[in-house]
Amino acid sequence: MISPTRVGAIAANTVREAIRNKILYVLLFFGVMLIGIGIFVSTLSYVESDRILQSVGLASIRLFGAAIAIFVGVGLIHKEVDRRTIFTILSKPVSRTEFLIGKYIGLVATLWMQVAIMAVAFLVVSLISHAPLDSGHAAAIWLAAVELSVLVAVATLFSAFTTPMLASLFTAGIYLVGHVTRDLKELGAQSEVVSVQQVTSLLHRVLPDLEMFNVTIQAVHQLPISSSEIWMPVVYAIFYATVLLALGSIIFERRDFR
Amino acid sequence: MAESMTDIVKVKNIVKDFRPGFGLVRKRVLHGISFSVRQGEIFGFVGPNGAGKTTTLKILMGLIHAQGGSASILGHDISESEYRRHVGFLPENPYFYDFLTGEEFLDFYAKVSGVSAQERPDRIASLLEQVGLAHAGRARLRTYSKGMLQRVGIAQAIVHDPDIVFLDEPMSGLDPIGRKEIRDLILRLNGEGKTIFMNTHILSDVEMLCHRVAIIVEGEIRYVGSSEEFLASEERSADVVLARLPADAVQIIEERFSAPMRGQGDQVEMRIPEKEVKDLLRLALDTGAEIVSVTPHRVSLETIFLSAVSKGPRQDQAKEESR
Repeated sequence: MISPTRVGAIAANTVREAIRNKILYVLLFFGVMLIGIGIFVSTLSYVESDRILQSVGLASIRLFGAAIAIFVGVGLIHKEVDRRTIFTILSKPVSRTEFLIGKYIGLVATLWMQVAIMAVAFLVVSLISHAPLDSGHAAAIWLAAVELSVLVAVATLFSAFTTPMLASLFTAGIYLVGHVTRDLKELGAQSEVVSVQQVTSLLHRVLPDLEMFNVTIQAVHQLPISSSEIWMPVVYAIFYATVLLALGSIIFERRDFR
Repeated sequence: MAESMTDIVKVKNIVKDFRPGFGLVRKRVLHGISFSVRQGEIFGFVGPNGAGKTTTLKILMGLIHAQGGSASILGHDISESEYRRHVGFLPENPYFYDFLTGEEFLDFYAKVSGVSAQERPDRIASLLEQVGLAHAGRARLRTYSKGMLQRVGIAQAIVHDPDIVFLDEPMSGLDPIGRKEIRDLILRLNGEGKTIFMNTHILSDVEMLCHRVAIIVEGEIRYVGSSEEFLASEERSADVVLARLPADAVQIIEERFSAPMRGQGDQVEMRIPEKEVKDLLRLALDTGAEIVSVTPHRVSLETIFLSAVSKGPRQDQAKEESR
């Protein structure tokens, strides 16, 4: 039985550790700075300067969020094992699943706080530049945050059984591939070879479809975003992250902490 | 120690293999070890480095999985997590979240241990007082000395008022003052009725603290029992000092007791088995010598330890296993 109190305590501790970690502030600083630099980049063009500004801003939020998710996420479990802090926690009535979920929720909460700060920077920069703002921008930022929850689940899964170096390579790889699985499937569908169709379709099903969370183009061009484009990715993210965490928990349960 | 003979930790034929690196070859580090810990005692788990002490403790704490055998704590199999409500654990050379203050640190462990929100403030204040860190509760752990960290580590181990506390090398790396503080703390906890299981290789601490010991060498238990019982089973000896012993009697005595005599001035000294002391004294008095002193020679735990390391399993272990 998973205890919300124990999971909450571990999550809160993870957030507190992140807040007191200077490296995160450095990454956040660069993220906010890049959003601000969008003002200068947009002046390079006489047309569509608002769109350039907002494209750079939204891309910065997604990229810096992903960078933090990968580099902090992969060390999530390893650091606890390496520093032996996990020994005292697991000697308490805390299950390994509770520990894993607590760490996951803590990092997702931290990342969402970072996204919120970058979103404020995006808002300020847009207001200063008199760029238009509407619900599409909010949807794009919200989905970027939801995408990070999937990426953290990938990082958590890998950090449950491998080294931070390998886990960061695997997670970064999944992040990159996750943005092309949809294109791969479409390319495969055009192939006349059945096995190619089957493999690309399987890859699309197994690997995360991260393009689902990308509505930047619609937001920047103020194109309509349907409600299903917002809630479907959320359902998908909940399902995908749950499966990854369950898998991570099974692996983690069998692990020896030497 | 509370006068109770209830076994609250039972370890039976635990086997553990490790696979060094990525190889397929397994290395056995625990060869079917068995022992038990009684309620209310301070139990020393003693062995040289690499003997399997920490591995055993980690199996008991559910941190690593044994390949064979069984273990129970307070009647619960260690595969269940229920027993962890009743145990506290301090690992060897612990690292704690140094970004937390002493109070935040204990509050976190109290929360995950299930201490209620109402109880926590008083419990944390009394624990900090108990381990002598009341003045440092609001300081971050990164400012703590090694001795302070060890004490706050013990505080987290007992934050939920467990019945049994497992300590892995609690004196490791501490200066004499730090060791004394931890020793006093262990004695105080035991005085409050807590059972203490202590991994250590510092024999003087074992002699001072432990009611019973288990000696583990190369993954095998060589002895389980009290150090007094062990001492009783060893052949005791005594140092006898005699004065004014006639020169011709020296050779007779040396041949009779097969022991050399060391002389200084008109006094000579020899070490003989305790059971032969009476015969020696009688003989010495007959020759007109004067008896200066008879001092029983105490076998130290170090001697026991070294003897256990060099010998195979003792009979006492078989007795323990059959219980």
